[in-house]
Amino acid sequence: MKDPPTVFDEIFAKLTPDRLLHDPRATGEGVAVAVLDSGVERAVLEERAKQRGQPVLPIEGALFRPTSPAPLPYDGHQSSPHGTTVADIILTVAPRVKLYSADVFGPQGTCEVETVVAALRHAIDVWNVKVVNLSLGVPEHKLQQAPRRLLLQRAIEEAYFRDVLVFAAAHNEHPLTRSYPAAFAPPLISVDKALFDDPLRFAYVLKDQVEFQAHSRGYLGPFAREPATSWATPHLAGIAARILSLKPDLKPFEIKTILYWMFRAEDRPKSA
Amino acid sequence: MSETVLIVDDEDSVRRTFHDWLAGLPNVRVFAAADAEAALLIANEHPIDLAVLDWNLGTGSDGLQLLEDLGDFQPDIVAILVTGFANQATPLDALRMGVRDYLDKNHDLTRETFLTAVRRQLDRIIPAKRQRELNRQLNEFRDAVQKVLPLVRGSAVLNDPVPLPAAVHSLFRFLLRTTGAADGALVVCHAPPGGPEVMAAYGTDGRSLPVAEVPFSRSLAASVVSVQEPCVMYGPDAAGGTVDLLPFEAGRKAILAVPLPVASGTHVVLELFDKPEFTADDKRLVAAAADIGAELLRQALAERQTHRLLFDAIEAALRASESITETLSTPTPNQPPPAAVMERLKAGLTADPNAVADADTALRLIEAVRELAVRYGPPAVEHCVRLVESVRKLLDQTGG
Repeated sequence: MKDPPTVFDEIFAKLTPDRLLHDPRATGEGVAVAVLDSGVERAVLEERAKQRGQPVLPIEGALFRPTSPAPLPYDGHQSSPHGTTVADIILTVAPRVKLYSADVFGPQGTCEVETVVAALRHAIDVWNVKVVNLSLGVPEHKLQQAPRRLLLQRAIEEAYFRDVLVFAAAHNEHPLTRSYPAAFAPPLISVDKALFDDPLRFAYVLKDQVEFQAHSRGYLGPFAREPATSWATPHLAGIAARILSLKPDLKPFEIKTILYWMFRAEDRPKSA
Repeated sequence: MSETVLIVDDEDSVRRTFHDWLAGLPNVRVFAAADAEAALLIANEHPIDLAVLDWNLGTGSDGLQLLEDLGDFQPDIVAILVTGFANQATPLDALRMGVRDYLDKNHDLTRETFLTAVRRQLDRIIPAKRQRELNRQLNEFRDAVQKVLPLVRGSAVLNDPVPLPAAVHSLFRFLLRTTGAADGALVVCHAPPGGPEVMAAYGTDGRSLPVAEVPFSRSLAASVVSVQEPCVMYGPDAAGGTVDLLPFEAGRKAILAVPLPVASGTHVVLELFDKPEFTADDKRLVAAAADIGAELLRQALAERQTHRLLFDAIEAALRASESITETLSTPTPNQPPPAAVMERLKAGLTADPNAVADADTALRLIEAVRELAVRYGPPAVEHCVRLVESVRKLLDQTGG
């Protein structure tokens, strides 16, 4: 004989991706998202949004360089196409978010932990973002210095305690290579790559400190069709932005729980 | 460094007195001569910094003539003219030749005035002399480096164990054979912090390929560097306006690209073209080849870098020495003639009963021509004289 449903069954029944993500108000409206990456090509993104018939809010940003103590003005251009591909995914999933671009890479194509931390703090303190996308990481073998690892961890925890949701990409060879800050899983949402028939689908698959999987193909850029954790992360960040536009005051752990419950709701056997 | 003073006077007692007065000065070598011939013999043996010359040397020659001859041995020589007839000296020529002071035998010549005049000139000579010495050493250094540079370059060519084109060619020969790709290229972008980026590309034969004006930020290579693993792009439309393709990338049906971690600030991307479908095995292969290739290129580039650093250092030293030489060679701010000289000239000009212009006007002309002489040397003075003469002729003709 079947047990009568509990309150959790009722919650799971209600927290379906369909109900949450396809609500007409779930557009990312009212949610500020920072993309810490290689900058974004503003004109290209605006043109794509226009073609989709979904104009985006003005994209703002700043350049963060180890040589400059203060952020430099954003001139609307990318340092490399990676950031534009990432931003395009977020705007495709949640077209009404307010996007901020923090170019932390510059022409060198690499950046220091300190630069990422400075950009993260700026995004929280100045831009007042609710979501931060980090499609970047430092492999464990390159972050052996405890003080630098601690610096990054503290910045991530600070974001968590200030109700800012950080999405961090796992290494593309995860779990063979562990990457930070994704491995600081508890205060953030770590994302591995997978392919789904619907880009709004995702999964909770705990694997060596990385918890979620999201769709890993992008839409714009030369290598966007190559599955990568860099493209999976903004998919889940965009999904979270859609949820936040329904309830903007959700805390990071609430969002993580909701994402988990959404996955379970979808994953659990449908009742007859 | 000591200064050398030459006394020339036909009176033995005067020579000895001057010699004795000068003997107490530190770091000063003193020579004495009774006539022009003896003075020139000394100047031939020893560079003279300051000459104390009698205006009337007795044998028909004068101190000014001797000074001009001494200038052949030591162009920077300066002199103190000892005379009872200051107004007899041709003021312009005297200044041009290096007369910096006059001492009047009949009036104010004492041990004190003599030593004061000598010290004043030596104080002026010492910095100029040091400057000349530095200049000479710099020139010697530059000559030595210029001789060495071609030798260093030559040996660098001989010692280059893995020339870059050969390294690129070997890498591609292996990759094209194993993957079945039709063609390939190696894109190198050097982006030093704060400096301009330089992009270069090499074909499968190791030869340079033309690179259009594509900023690295909009290049396919930049995209691959960001992803940090082998990626495939199918068709140019996939870029979607985020990149500008280089000439050899345009029109390709498929591009498999992989970054090679060669050196900080130097991005190297290996690209393979036009296999109908690049497989996961191809990606794994180029990833492995990238590691080997990176090592190969790192060695080739490191050799070049070492040589480059050496060349840069030598060339920088050359540039620095040239710049210092230029600075030192720049004429020092044009010092007006010593006040004593000007006063003496003025007195002489005023005393001339045949003068047709007042002393100030004459001095203004003298100063203008003196400045010309200091800046541009005797030819400029000659030109000036010719101009004055032609003006005179013109006025003569006009006035009948």
